[in-house]
Amino acid sequence: MESALASTTAFEAQIYRSLPETERSEAIVERISKAISLGLLKVGERLPRETALSEMFGVAPSTLREALSELRDQGIVATRRGRSGGTFIVRQPFTSSEVIRKWFQETSIAEIRDVGDEHAAIAAATVRLACERAEPHETNRLLDLARGVVMTDKPELQARADSRFHIELAVLAQSPRLTNAEIRLQSETVQALWSTVSLARDPEQVAAEHLALARVIANDAPEEAQRLVLEHIRHDIHHLVDAKLSLGYPPFQQERS
Amino acid sequence: MTNENPATKAAAEIADWTNALGQEVYKFAARTGALWTGRRTPLSVTPRDIAALEHMSKEFLEKHDFAVGAGVIFSVDAIDSRGGILEWWTTRAKGIEKLEFDLIPGGERFYDYQNMPFFTAASRTGEQSMWGPYVDYLGLDEYILTHTAPIRLDGRFVGVAGYDIRIRKLEEIFMPALRAIPGDAALLNESRRVVVGNSGAYLVGERVRSIPDDKQLIPVDVPHLGLSLLTAR
Repeated sequence: MESALASTTAFEAQIYRSLPETERSEAIVERISKAISLGLLKVGERLPRETALSEMFGVAPSTLREALSELRDQGIVATRRGRSGGTFIVRQPFTSSEVIRKWFQETSIAEIRDVGDEHAAIAAATVRLACERAEPHETNRLLDLARGVVMTDKPELQARADSRFHIELAVLAQSPRLTNAEIRLQSETVQALWSTVSLARDPEQVAAEHLALARVIANDAPEEAQRLVLEHIRHDIHHLVDAKLSLGYPPFQQERS
Repeated sequence: MTNENPATKAAAEIADWTNALGQEVYKFAARTGALWTGRRTPLSVTPRDIAALEHMSKEFLEKHDFAVGAGVIFSVDAIDSRGGILEWWTTRAKGIEKLEFDLIPGGERFYDYQNMPFFTAASRTGEQSMWGPYVDYLGLDEYILTHTAPIRLDGRFVGVAGYDIRIRKLEEIFMPALRAIPGDAALLNESRRVVVGNSGAYLVGERVRSIPDDKQLIPVDVPHLGLSLLTAR
């Protein structure tokens, strides 16, 4: 049977493959939840108006309402009527241990390494640009953020502080695109990195590495900054691999022939 | 070293698994080649042949459900038909699907299979070969490994038959054996690239350019594939 797809190459089929199962409203729920868990939106903050939101997301108003209703059901936002009304963030979304455990089980070492490769590529360019472009008062802020992970012993706050530091590097690089890439990469791994379902990340070590990195950026030493950030990311990746493996490896069921 | 050594034991387990599969790949190659027994050369690949190849590939994929693709690739010198050069199928949610490749030299997505290592090695040595891990961006667009055996007609090389496996699947298959080894250890391919490592120390795809003083390479006894196990001395 000749179908339209039969004449395309595998390469093209890959480009035009159907979009992920996640409904668009689920994607909105995910986007907002991640933004809150990374500390980009804060409890108490008001979301933009519904019409503005649906325009920004490029979805129909009904799709947006579906997403907001889901966020309300999860208790993450609340909608108040009246003059000072609107939709407010009322609670930190909570990534359950179960979800993180599942992430460790379903993500292969090859995939973890690949996230690390992308992060390394983004971060290497980011810190070089940060050295070039950051002003002294901005690097002071970076030095403050560097120790964020030791200011708390709650994993979710450590995760936020960690991602906040990395996002700040991209902010110092003056690049919206690198900032977006960093936010996406952080949202993929930072919760697993700090979760206590498996081995715990050592906050003192991370803070020391952040601090060393912030100092060389303040001193405008791009080569050293790149070396340190790559080493730091390698430590993160090794930690994720070790955390995955320490959760055990399910025995492989070889098929009967 | 005795059989009690966990690294030796892991190497033997990996070898057993791979050898058993290697036998299947040789059989697959022989069965596909048998379609042309007693027919004139250069070979013509008819729609009927392609249907038969699809059936055999489907069987191979069903029997080895860890494989993600299987099929045959003919040498252009061996066939005289314009089609039928690269007959490769991949598993989909329902059944199997033919992969289409750009086979026009100079094309932007030209799939230069005649120069793919799993083709050239099998052609050169007349034996099974393995290539990977590699990002097959012109084919499946997956991180895979390909294992092939030559198809021979009257002693002459005419192409290869084989299968693809996702690296994440190989990780599932080999990790239990590797995890039984104390300390950092990794399965390496012929060019000393990590196929699966048992910790963060050796990550898949990395090349081990020099063997650290406290480590050694022990051979994984599978003929022609050049696999080895990096483990503590």
